[in-house]
Amino acid sequence: MNCQEFWNSLPEPAAPHPHLAECPDCTSRMRRQRELAGGLRTIAGYMDGIQAPARVEARLLAAFREQSGIAGRGKTRPRWVPALTWAAALAAMIAIGALVVRERPPEAARPSSARSVELAMIETMPTTPGAMETAAEEGFLPLPGAAQLAPEEDVNMVRIELPRSAMMQVGIEVSPERASETVRADVMVGSDGVARAVRFFEVTSD
Amino acid sequence: MAGCLSMELSDSNNESSVTGMTGPTQETDDELLLRIRSGDEEAFLSLYRRRQGALYRFALHMSSSIAVAEDVTQDVFLTVLREDCGYDPERGTLSGYLFGIARKLILRQMERGRSTVALETGGDEATLPELAVEDDPLLDLTHREGLEALRRAVQALPQRYREVVVLCDLEEVDYADAAIALGCPIGTVRSRLHRARALLLDKLKQDRNPRRAVTPLNPVRCMS
Repeated sequence: MNCQEFWNSLPEPAAPHPHLAECPDCTSRMRRQRELAGGLRTIAGYMDGIQAPARVEARLLAAFREQSGIAGRGKTRPRWVPALTWAAALAAMIAIGALVVRERPPEAARPSSARSVELAMIETMPTTPGAMETAAEEGFLPLPGAAQLAPEEDVNMVRIELPRSAMMQVGIEVSPERASETVRADVMVGSDGVARAVRFFEVTSD
Repeated sequence: MAGCLSMELSDSNNESSVTGMTGPTQETDDELLLRIRSGDEEAFLSLYRRRQGALYRFALHMSSSIAVAEDVTQDVFLTVLREDCGYDPERGTLSGYLFGIARKLILRQMERGRSTVALETGGDEATLPELAVEDDPLLDLTHREGLEALRRAVQALPQRYREVVVLCDLEEVDYADAAIALGCPIGTVRSRLHRARALLLDKLKQDRNPRRAVTPLNPVRCMS
């Protein structure tokens, strides 16, 4: 291998090569390449600690959180609110369902599955000393055995669908043929999660 | 192989130089990327802290601008956040891909600002400068002034040679990753690097012998 062929092979500075043993000129050139590589490594060492400013990381983190939807979560309502809503709806269903099952006359014991419960609306309003009277004026019927609302007690209003047979528990007549149908109702739930009163839509007697 | 294929690790900033792994217990870049795709913030920070230093320094060497280096580093990782960033593990490592993105962003910035300082050579690959044998421009590379001269010489290289020197010699990226970053075959990386080193030696020689750079001297015999 002559010098031209040697350099055309793009030898690495650190790599030993037989040609170097027989060519002082190429050995000298290769030595300079090694020294150059050493100088570059020294510069690299000096610059090794140079990094992007911390603000770059902060901006990227914000972008990552925005993309992941993490930033938006703090602006929405607390997680416990929907949980409380569902808990109140469930409590209302259980309370009314218990009344239906416990006091249903035998002849009305045809299947009346609560096929679906639809939470359509929830309101929170503080009661006043005459809250039950006011509620009665708005068409609410107190549930049998339900405790009175305490003054200034917060109540939740839950709209659900119930079997029409549930209307019988508050003194509304229901024909046996339609007992398994569903009817929409607003249930007033106390701060303890217990249903206190109910207001049915389509309250006309069958 | 020197420089490019050495596997030195930087302890100061949690970077790995070559393979995407910093140790037997640490996740690879690709594993981190998978976690990033599922919204793992910790994985994103790990990848950023592992790779940002080299990318920032690469952009800094290429642009000589802190602002550009900062923007480029940020934009590289914003690209990673996109689902359709175009990274394909089959084609190369994430490290090479990141350098490639950085390079494109740098070139775009340089085209806008024309902020490059390049030693024009006309791009003729056949006109490799001969390395000096008779004097030694590297004698002072162990001194601060010599290193500063070398740093200036790197910055004065044309872009195509500067980027390969910065990647392979300064950031110790291996040839395969450099080829991905530069969008060329490995053989081209090697030839450019070889020529870049020759240009650096020539530049250093000119700095030490400025008159020679202006008017090449012919051998003369002292007649006195």
